[in-house]
Amino acid sequence: MVIPSFLILLLVVVIPILLAIQESFKDDDSGSFTLSNYVFLFADKFMRKNIGFTLSLTIVSMVIVILVSYMLAMYLRFNQGKIVDWIKRLYFIPMFIPSVIGTYGMISMYSNHGWLARFVLLAGGDYFPKIIYSYSGILLANLWFNIPFATMMLSSALAGIPNSIVESAKDAGAGRLQILGRFIIPLSYKTMLVTMTFVFMGIIGGFTAPFLMGPNAPQVLGVAMEQMFGAYKEIGRTSATAVFMFVLCSFMGYFYIRSMIQEERS
Amino acid sequence: MKRWMKKVFKGKTLVLGGLAMAVALSGCGKASEQAATGAASAQPASTAQADKKDAKPVELNFYFSGSANVKEMWETLAPQFEKANPGIKVKLVHLPDGQAEGAAIDKVLGAKKAGQKSIDIDVFETGLSNLTKGEKDGVWMKMDSTIIPNLSKVDAAYMNDVHQLAVPYRASSVVLAYNSKNVPTPPKTADELYDWIHKHPGKFAYNDPATGGAGSSFVQTAIYNFLPADAVHNADPSVMQQWDKGFALLKELGPFMYQKGVYPKKNQGTLDILASGEVDMIPAWSDMGLEQISKKTLPDTIKLTQIEPAFTGGPSYIAIPAMSEKKEAAEKFINYALTPEAQTVVINKMYGYPGIKWSEMPADLQKKFESVAKGYRTFTIGSLGDEINKRWQREVAGGN
Repeated sequence: MVIPSFLILLLVVVIPILLAIQESFKDDDSGSFTLSNYVFLFADKFMRKNIGFTLSLTIVSMVIVILVSYMLAMYLRFNQGKIVDWIKRLYFIPMFIPSVIGTYGMISMYSNHGWLARFVLLAGGDYFPKIIYSYSGILLANLWFNIPFATMMLSSALAGIPNSIVESAKDAGAGRLQILGRFIIPLSYKTMLVTMTFVFMGIIGGFTAPFLMGPNAPQVLGVAMEQMFGAYKEIGRTSATAVFMFVLCSFMGYFYIRSMIQEERS
Repeated sequence: MKRWMKKVFKGKTLVLGGLAMAVALSGCGKASEQAATGAASAQPASTAQADKKDAKPVELNFYFSGSANVKEMWETLAPQFEKANPGIKVKLVHLPDGQAEGAAIDKVLGAKKAGQKSIDIDVFETGLSNLTKGEKDGVWMKMDSTIIPNLSKVDAAYMNDVHQLAVPYRASSVVLAYNSKNVPTPPKTADELYDWIHKHPGKFAYNDPATGGAGSSFVQTAIYNFLPADAVHNADPSVMQQWDKGFALLKELGPFMYQKGVYPKKNQGTLDILASGEVDMIPAWSDMGLEQISKKTLPDTIKLTQIEPAFTGGPSYIAIPAMSEKKEAAEKFINYALTPEAQTVVINKMYGYPGIKWSEMPADLQKKFESVAKGYRTFTIGSLGDEINKRWQREVAGGN
């Protein structure tokens, strides 16, 4: 039973990764061993800017996603009413919209001549900030695509917290912040870690939205890689970038796996 | 990774994925390619094939690249050809823009280098850069009007450009697309154009040159207009030292661009903002512009014109790999593509220029294309095009 899944893992994950690592140490022309691809990655001013841009975008997006999703999930968990019901029905819709469609939707909503700009114009405003084709455009797309997923994950964790705990704490005189800090966060932070890992990996490897509505420079690594590979055929440099991203993601994954293992042991 | 997977799942591209893998595993490329060739060309000698012709149709493997409109065009032409030539079947292999085309050309080059005797690509549709890659190694077959009679209809100069190794069967060029509502008198020269950009900040845009030919043409002409005329056929890296003036101009134009320096992605990116009225003028491919005007996705106030010195443009070529085993059928296919009937389909589907002389075309079509059929320049600067894009990315786009 193990062999088929192991073979698939080997074919679609392990071998490609090994090949990419091998390519990243190869000179594109001569095929000999070289470190120049990695030197380029970290020494080139332009690439360094790209890396900084990607990391900043990923971390800022992740933090905002987690904050917003946590608040939304708590609101949905501990409140009742018509609005809550409607939000519960609607919030995950963005997850089912293909990213290209979603991105074009955002472009026609927020661009200079988009819907929002026209409303501003109608209302008498004469200035509309540049939202897309910049850092904020990609940030917006990241939030749009990731908040529903994160909220769904966190909601399921919060659903596992029995009402009795919260109510008895209230009876004992605990305030809202105390309940949050002493019960809700400790009981759901594992799921939060999982969510963070997934959001981080999803955003750092993002392509569609950054390609269509990001700035021309600096680029996120996904777009830079596409350009190096597709337009310039620099296979070595592209592989080096891919390996670097892989290392970043496994760093993230390491903490996640470690906490999982600790849980199993205890 | 995600994108790659999506592509592979598209079904047809599965074949290409496998092909790319075969190329990637360069060490064992020989063996796997032979295995792939096995079914299609089991009989090695072409005489054996001629004998079998009556019994079994010859299957031509036709590799072509390009956007959806190119695919549509060949899907119309191939059945027409098959009808006129029973006994020949055309298998269309579409290579979507991007890496697939590179993998296919690598396959042709690799097969030659590995010393194989045959290849299962019989007709290849490609651009100039891929053609020149293969020329050194002699992978393309020489053609003339004794084997392809309709070549007499093609302008001899175009055939000489590529040393008779390929047939320019259609062409298009980059032109200036402008909104005639806001621009009553469009610029006629490159200098007038740069002047217009200065006077109308935010109203001009060209796309990121690495993502589409229209922007690339704007950048390349801006750089090479400062250079002697013969530099456009020089692929030697020493020319790079003379680029500074051109890049200085592009950098200086940056703040006058759309949103003070936003360069949309892909050829369509600029056409979109021209359609929405955000800009009044862009460089665009003539075929895309004409098609979208006629399909009303661009407002009818949009007009096309060519400036002086002209933007770049160029033909798309079809060539026969020298290692193909079905040359006779391939020659018939190319001959068909050069008939006025086929060329009319080319024009109507692609809004391109015909590969044969205008005088060979029906009179009503000649009239319809008068406005843009002025001419274009062909640059053969080889890999310097990539160097321009890289430097542009750093100096022009990175400067804001």
